[in-house]
Amino acid sequence: MASKPEINRRSFIKGAAVLGAVPLIRGGSMAQQSDPSQQVPAGEVPKKPLGRTGVQVSAMGLGGYHIGSAETDQAAMEIVAKAFDHGVRFFDNAWEYHDGLSEERMGKALQGKRDQAFVMTKVCTHGRDKKIAMRMLEESLRRLQTDHLDLWQIHEVVYDNDPDLIFATDGVAEALQAAKQQGKVRFIGFTGHKDPEIHLKMLSHDFPFDTVQMPLNCCDATFRSFETHVLPEATRRGIAALGMKSLGGSGELVRHGAVTPEQGLRYAMSLPVATTISGVDTMQVLDQNLKVAVNFQPLAAAEMQSLRDQCRFLASDGRLELFKMTTKYDGKVGREQHHFPTTQELPI
Amino acid sequence: MPQTSSGSIPLRKFGRADAKISVLGFGGHHLGDAPDEKTAVEIIHQAVDGGITFYDNCWEYRRGKTEVWMGAGLKGRRDKVFLMTKTCPHGRDGSLALLMLEESLRRLQTDHLDLWQVHGMAFDNDAELFIRKGGAAEALEKAKKDGKVRFVGFTGHQNPKVHLAVLNTGFPFDSVQMPLNPFDANFRSFEKQVLPELVKRGIAVLGMKPLSGHGAAIKNGVITAEESLRYAMSLPGVTTTITGIDSLDVLHQNLQIAQNFTPMTEPEMQQLRDRCKQDAADGRFELYKLSLQFDNPEARLAHGFPLDTQQSEVRDMLGATMNTGHPFPERKF
Repeated sequence: MASKPEINRRSFIKGAAVLGAVPLIRGGSMAQQSDPSQQVPAGEVPKKPLGRTGVQVSAMGLGGYHIGSAETDQAAMEIVAKAFDHGVRFFDNAWEYHDGLSEERMGKALQGKRDQAFVMTKVCTHGRDKKIAMRMLEESLRRLQTDHLDLWQIHEVVYDNDPDLIFATDGVAEALQAAKQQGKVRFIGFTGHKDPEIHLKMLSHDFPFDTVQMPLNCCDATFRSFETHVLPEATRRGIAALGMKSLGGSGELVRHGAVTPEQGLRYAMSLPVATTISGVDTMQVLDQNLKVAVNFQPLAAAEMQSLRDQCRFLASDGRLELFKMTTKYDGKVGREQHHFPTTQELPI
Repeated sequence: MPQTSSGSIPLRKFGRADAKISVLGFGGHHLGDAPDEKTAVEIIHQAVDGGITFYDNCWEYRRGKTEVWMGAGLKGRRDKVFLMTKTCPHGRDGSLALLMLEESLRRLQTDHLDLWQVHGMAFDNDAELFIRKGGAAEALEKAKKDGKVRFVGFTGHQNPKVHLAVLNTGFPFDSVQMPLNPFDANFRSFEKQVLPELVKRGIAVLGMKPLSGHGAAIKNGVITAEESLRYAMSLPGVTTTITGIDSLDVLHQNLQIAQNFTPMTEPEMQQLRDRCKQDAADGRFELYKLSLQFDNPEARLAHGFPLDTQQSEVRDMLGATMNTGHPFPERKF
């Protein structure tokens, strides 16, 4: 496979895994990794209902972006295989991740497992029309080596005028419905990391979305909160909520001492969501995730509140949720389509 | 041969106060882009002669260079102008704000300010940090009581909701500064959300970013500089429009618009809003509402946000640590 293309988005991470950064920052050593207490317990990641679709998905999902960040194809294959063995069945992706590498790796890794997996990817029109969306769908299916998706979502709804562009005549919303009618996708949804108001504007169109993906973490509860504003509305409409950025997108919540990885993940997974999507680019990160997710038991309400309280000060200006506050997490394709400067010209 | 620009610019009443200021204000940040102090002083002299009476500055601009240069330019002319600078506690203690005031007065070579504003209210918790016990609100009160400043206010360019939250602390502000331009009218709009509230409360309205920051929309040909500036100056309720001036050419252009200023009619303004509406919708020409790149490093440090080493203020900051022996080392790294 060709060398891994650099994508502007998140290039600042420089391979620092979502959770992998933790032992580095705490001065942890390799020895820590072979500590028996780090072993993943026997058992499986539990299943949860996906809204009112009648389908069940694993309570933890494997993030597609970081599959493209794994050092080698082989490392990516091993991550997917081990996650699958422990019951992870929800696989996230997007047409634009690593210029297609994430989808290619996922397609290869899921060979022979396709029927047992719930495969999602996202369409990246960023305001462009239905025709381009359908072309992206065909490309995604080819890369993922499948003839259908379980879930196809509109990627990165983060600009104030995105809802208008999405629901314009001949816009991407029409592509979602067409793909569903043609049997190429089972369910449809949208994603975004910026502003609860934009999500609510999307929902107000009464479009038959099956899912909605959003950032959910201990800090979000205090700052421009998806948990407070969007989650109840999605639930009321019977739309499955998919959580992401449980640790701030690049482990910011952990690196700045707001929570431990375990606290952060447990909090996100205890919310009324169908799944929590977490990016994994090393085995070490996967093991930390699986330790929480296998045989997962939700936190009690009082424990949730104490985590919100613990994070309140650091949460209150958004300093750990840079995806809401800065343009750092806004992808290259979306910026181009909206005529925004590149990350080089406008770093954050 | 430098052109001189004697003349006058219309004045407007400064809120409820017994004071008047010119409808065009001199933006202090860009003064730091002048090639040297001598040029900066000449720009200020001609601006005063041309009728600009309102002078903007800020403790954190260019590591103090703009205050020093403006102070030099206003020497002997201090009584002819309405001088403003800003303090930069960014949520930190009021005692820090007062130390900044002393430094600003020294640099500006004056014993008092006409207006002292809290700089850069940008973050969702800034209102709370401002009004807290020991916060900047106490510093504004003290400076006014001690006669070091005549009026007090606050500024910010990020979010109308933050402005409203600061107003709703109930603190008796004399002025509020905010972006006003034809793009703002259709995107997270200060014109729609904040301006009417200020008029209602009798608070002076200081418009800024009349060319939407760095003028990207003008470079892209969406709008001309004159249209954009006249729009901002014509908004009912606005007291002055602060625009950055870094050269005699820019000064002369601005003086010409301001000296001959007649407000746009409402239909003309609506036409301009409509023309800009499409491009305004995602904020592409108002990056100061969307990117931390337009927030000063002092604010970012105080709020724990990462510094952006490509930003001019950060490069000034890093340059200042190089100990070149010059008071304001230029970026040579």
